[in-house]
Amino acid sequence: MPGSNTIDDCGRMQTAPQDITKLIIRVSMKDRAAFDALYRQTSAKLFGVCLRVLSNRPEAEEALQEVYVKIWNKADRFAISDLSPISWLVAVARNHSIDRLRQRRRPTADIDEAVDIADTAPDPESLVVASGEVGQLNNCLQELDDDRAAAVRGAYLAGDSYAELAERHGVPLNTMRTWLRRSLLKLRECLER
Amino acid sequence: MPERGDGDLLAAEYVLGVLDQKEREDTARRLETDPAFARAVDNWEVSLAPLAGAYASIEPPAHVKRAIDARLFSSTAIPTPSTASGGSWWSSLAFWRGLTAATAAALAIAVAVPVLRQPAETTDARYMATLAAEASDVRYAAMYDQHDGKIALAHISGAKAADQDFELWMIEGTNAPVSMGVIPSGEMISIRITPELKAKLAAGAVLAISLEPLGGSPTGQPTGPVVAAGDLKSI
Repeated sequence: MPGSNTIDDCGRMQTAPQDITKLIIRVSMKDRAAFDALYRQTSAKLFGVCLRVLSNRPEAEEALQEVYVKIWNKADRFAISDLSPISWLVAVARNHSIDRLRQRRRPTADIDEAVDIADTAPDPESLVVASGEVGQLNNCLQELDDDRAAAVRGAYLAGDSYAELAERHGVPLNTMRTWLRRSLLKLRECLER
Repeated sequence: MPERGDGDLLAAEYVLGVLDQKEREDTARRLETDPAFARAVDNWEVSLAPLAGAYASIEPPAHVKRAIDARLFSSTAIPTPSTASGGSWWSSLAFWRGLTAATAAALAIAVAVPVLRQPAETTDARYMATLAAEASDVRYAAMYDQHDGKIALAHISGAKAADQDFELWMIEGTNAPVSMGVIPSGEMISIRITPELKAKLAAGAVLAISLEPLGGSPTGQPTGPVVAAGDLKSI
């Protein structure tokens, strides 16, 4: 498709969403060339997701392998989602990384690495969704108290459990649960306006 | 409509990622068996997806891809797409059923893919349209193959009363709609195109489906509401 690819700041080719859609559909038909192309174009984003959630490089590399094995096996599931193609891939990587995080017996976070990751500049939001949707979610988060909005963002990005959030905020687990649930209900009410 | 009440909150908590291991496992099982709940989870994934913009892109080391390839392909040496899967994918009703209007539109482009894998000797064009309308849940996906002069229709959703029929129309520019006949009931249907229609049917033409009395429109023009429409795109 002419004109649909652009070069980003780092000189990488960026792919228009419909092209990633095509690649995912071809992967669902077990097209290995499409799988290679999909990996080239999306693995940096998904590795960023695994690394942020797991805060541990060897584990994030292992998780990324499992994520692409899942994508190969379950690409047909994309068709039943309303998500944009890159958001669907991010959801697969995020959910898998959070599952791995929960399976750990105790935290193995490498603090230095976690700081490095946090300092990396985020992608432009346009990579993930149309700017209108970004604006709407941001507006709705702004209607929450600052600490509640921060808890929602933090939980989403890092995959923190209720227990971890409760410890960090120094409140009982059930209080944390009530807090976040109220925030989610407010968020839903705002998003549906 | 998305699920409401506890199920929707649980879906939000699952997507946010705050549940513990046991709760996540239970929720993942429910996802597989409860379509309404799965839809609620998907809605929350869509709502919260903008937050993922804050994830940085970090290039993984090259050995990761080699390890993936070893896990997936070590026993299958030749990396060719399977030839049987294109047809089964097209004819998989579950696949089409699962499509929402938004993804159906995106897929109109994606359906080009099987064509890319066709041998190049045929010069006849293929066209695709997704037929849908606001305020109607009737959806069909249509694929027109000029070579065999047939339109394949996949009935994705939407029902009609027993005393009604869906009728398919072609609208070319500002001309009056031309009937292509009553759509037989069924999930995957093929309609043969008359030679005069074949000459007119091309990219840009609109396919529309109207609700008509049993047996089709008595006037030769649509008499009932148009419940789905879409334009043919060359693929």
